[in-house]
Amino acid sequence: MYDTGTLLQIIFWGLYAGCIYILLATGLNLIFGVMKIVNFAHGEFLMIGAYITATVFFLTGFNPYAIILVSMLALVGIGAVVERLCFRPILGTSKLNEIFLSIGLIYIFTNSAAMIWGDEWQSIKSPYAGISVPIGSLNVPLDYIIIIITTSVILCGLYVFLRKTKTGREMRATSQNRKGAMLVGINVERMDILSFGIGCALAAAAGTLWVVSGQVFNPYMGSIPAVKAFAIIILGGLGSIPGAIIGGLIYGIAENGAAYFLGGVWKDAISFIILIVVLVLRPTGLFGEESE
Amino acid sequence: MKFERADIIRYGTIAVLAIAAVAPFLLDSLYILNLLCLMLIFIIFASAWNLLAYSGQGSLGHAAFLGIGAYASTLIATKSGITPYITIFLGAAVAAFIGILIGLTCVRLKEWFLAMVTFGFAIIVQTIAVSLLTPLTGGWDGIASPRLVSPDIPGYQLIEYYSILLITIASIVFIWYILRSRIGLAFAAIRENEIEARAAGVDPVRYRLLAFGLSAYLAGVAGALEIAHIGYITPEIFGVDLSFWPVTYVILGGLCTLAGPIIGTVVLTIIWEGLKMAGLTFGRYVIVGVLLILVIIFLPKGLVDLPNQVHKWWKQYKKPKPEQVPVLE
Repeated sequence: MYDTGTLLQIIFWGLYAGCIYILLATGLNLIFGVMKIVNFAHGEFLMIGAYITATVFFLTGFNPYAIILVSMLALVGIGAVVERLCFRPILGTSKLNEIFLSIGLIYIFTNSAAMIWGDEWQSIKSPYAGISVPIGSLNVPLDYIIIIITTSVILCGLYVFLRKTKTGREMRATSQNRKGAMLVGINVERMDILSFGIGCALAAAAGTLWVVSGQVFNPYMGSIPAVKAFAIIILGGLGSIPGAIIGGLIYGIAENGAAYFLGGVWKDAISFIILIVVLVLRPTGLFGEESE
Repeated sequence: MKFERADIIRYGTIAVLAIAAVAPFLLDSLYILNLLCLMLIFIIFASAWNLLAYSGQGSLGHAAFLGIGAYASTLIATKSGITPYITIFLGAAVAAFIGILIGLTCVRLKEWFLAMVTFGFAIIVQTIAVSLLTPLTGGWDGIASPRLVSPDIPGYQLIEYYSILLITIASIVFIWYILRSRIGLAFAAIRENEIEARAAGVDPVRYRLLAFGLSAYLAGVAGALEIAHIGYITPEIFGVDLSFWPVTYVILGGLCTLAGPIIGTVVLTIIWEGLKMAGLTFGRYVIVGVLLILVIIFLPKGLVDLPNQVHKWWKQYKKPKPEQVPVLE
């Protein structure tokens, strides 16, 4: 009944959806690694990134794939401000405070966006819309291929940054042992602000890719992808970036499969069912070591 | 004459009850009466959330219990014809049952994990309500629900208001009773230090499940009341928004205190309506968000703690600056 073509299509569409989740989840993971906090409002940065891309695109008409840099840079700034004003004062207090603070941030960002851009669904048209490339037996839209390549480039860049540069090494040191990092003279607060900024930039990249793929967006779109990204890092293990990548791909494919076989309404619920099953069986995630 | 803390609480409670009893006559408007009803219902809902938080479990999906209670009560009332006054409590029992089932998956989880799983459950429940259970729930369109008091009776709004007030008072007294019993002590012990609690002979799993069940029951009562008050139910009741509201109310008022949810709900409702009169729509949420963050950072114990904090700030302000010690030549 289901031929291989359909299955391949589900997997490929899942890969593309997975890319957006991977970027979000990697950002969350980076922030978690360094600061040991979880920001539930991470999806709002995706939403802001999406709107910045769309606005710049409407104003200038540049290729939206180039605007990804603008929105990433803007979000580094916003992320740094949020970290300094909101998260730093509550570092080290009860962990529930982070969740509550995130709710405040969700209120602020969603509704500021609704005030600025209105709360209707919007979408933009990519210059490559309608072009598709035949790969084997299926026709893949060119946009999806570009998105997969862009994500890979960003992830490789992040890898090189974390492994090869001095700042990247300092960041990893902070994430491995905060006190030890302080002792060897690393400015851990600078690392906090930097990791938060980079995490937000990754969310902005995810937002841009969301927009250019022709998906609709509105100010309230952020919360579900953010929670899914969080589910992914639980699935992949807190603090593990390879785990985030594999988890993201599994989610993307599972979601598309569920939407195809069970019907569209199950798209969101299936990710939480996976999450709950994983948490019940293995509370530390698939690839995670004992967290804290 | 010096007032003791206990006196302040006693007279304060009497004053609040008196105001609540005469409020419909002082503010003679149907809009405000409706608002008061919803406010009371949200006091129950926020208190239910707070009860769970009291045992150290912060849920982000409490709308699930609100909705299950509401749907169960509505369905029982329409199928059997029993008055909503009884089905409210039957529906809430269904919510409590599901709450304990959800609690079973959560007993090993803490903080974000728990928040995530509860958030996920609200979405799963909503999905089931609009897909598998559509014949019962009417899908996204929703179904009509029997009113608490039939609109044919003259002055039905007032009867409804006083019924809701009574149920709210009963719920608060119930929570007060739980919190000062051994159960409340066990909840606090688990919240503060699970290992020590276990060493003292408290079984965390049992008490966590109990907290889940009680909290879900009260949330179910709140949901069933809300729907019996409005007279219509849609799956929107499982929405993220409704899961976040009790959190906001409780944090603003004071986490893990009995008065916190009440003060938070009243204060926030007044601010909310005030901003609405000022003509703000999205701006209201932004202001509430900023308020929430300010309270978390500067008033970690909520508005309940405001008098103490003001006293502390005032003492610091009045304290003379340390004199410059003369330096010996």
